[in-house]
Amino acid sequence: MSPLDLFFEVLRAAALSVGGAGSLPLLRESLVVPGHVTEAQVLESLAIGRLSTGPTGLYVVSLGYFALGWVGAAVALAAAVLPPLSLVAVATVGRRWLLTPWAAGIIRGIALSTSGLLVATSVQLVDPGAVQVALALAGLAAMLHGRVHPALMILGGALAGAALEAL
Amino acid sequence: MRRAKQANAHTLIDLAKAWLTIGSRSIGGGPSSLYLMRRELVERRGWLTHREFVEDWALSKVSLGINQIALAGLEGIRVAGSPGLAVTLAAFLIPSGLITALMTAGYEVVRSEPWVKAALNGVGPVVAGMTLAMALTFAQGAWRRGRAGVFDRAYWLLAVAVGLLALAPQVAVLGTGIAAGLLFMRGETSRAQADPGA
Repeated sequence: MSPLDLFFEVLRAAALSVGGAGSLPLLRESLVVPGHVTEAQVLESLAIGRLSTGPTGLYVVSLGYFALGWVGAAVALAAAVLPPLSLVAVATVGRRWLLTPWAAGIIRGIALSTSGLLVATSVQLVDPGAVQVALALAGLAAMLHGRVHPALMILGGALAGAALEAL
Repeated sequence: MRRAKQANAHTLIDLAKAWLTIGSRSIGGGPSSLYLMRRELVERRGWLTHREFVEDWALSKVSLGINQIALAGLEGIRVAGSPGLAVTLAAFLIPSGLITALMTAGYEVVRSEPWVKAALNGVGPVVAGMTLAMALTFAQGAWRRGRAGVFDRAYWLLAVAVGLLALAPQVAVLGTGIAAGLLFMRGETSRAQADPGA
């Protein structure tokens, strides 16, 4: 995979999704299936993205690093910036248009599609073992509860993994 | 936009400082970034009113891709015009991008250690569960109230099923979503939290 290929894959995924992790289903499809990154690296990039600073969607920087090193990280960041930047450009000339029912319909359609695919992807990322499912449910419940910091959830998962290994 | 005309080098330096703070301290993703944006731009420096912040936040919700980047851009333009946009994006994203890449590079050094592998066996499913929660929250914010919401929920369930069973390419699902959105999902904009970043 060349840096240009990675750029266009991240750009396509970001431009066809809404929200930080919304690009995950398309990126998983375009990077894991051809073998540019592994399924484990997808989860690792999500965890690093959560432990790092900035928007959640910057997990793509980590994914880009896994694919192509420092160049991949830079390329992924540049590609991820362009779709939201296009909103800023449109807003400067037609802010009112962006809040019309038509625009809301388009974004709702993309958002519900993105969300549905993201649900499916999240489920597929969990190994079917009982412990793995229990940990996933714990992460789901803690996140929905909304009062536990994401970094603490990841730390909890790491401790659980280490404890299970020690048993 | 009125403040944009008053932008000068001093403003741009202050703007860079504010976004460097946000970009380097917002550990944990979206909510902490949003909290710091509000604190730095509205409460601490008074560059934006609370109303302007909420307006930009609502507008950023219709952005494709990472909507916090759109929010940052809208705020940067409000404070200092086009130079403000450039400074904002650079000061917000370069530190956080660099930190993310450095963490990944550091992780690669220790990845093969047995304790890291053991820890990852626990981290993986927890992160998947967290991502699932984000997706569910996202859907709840997107579907409409009343009868229209029944259609939205049905479409969302269809997208979940198509994704789980790999019944169609994901791009096709997204294309269908755009068409369905234009034809059947017009109306109220996505429901938004009344007090973002609070």
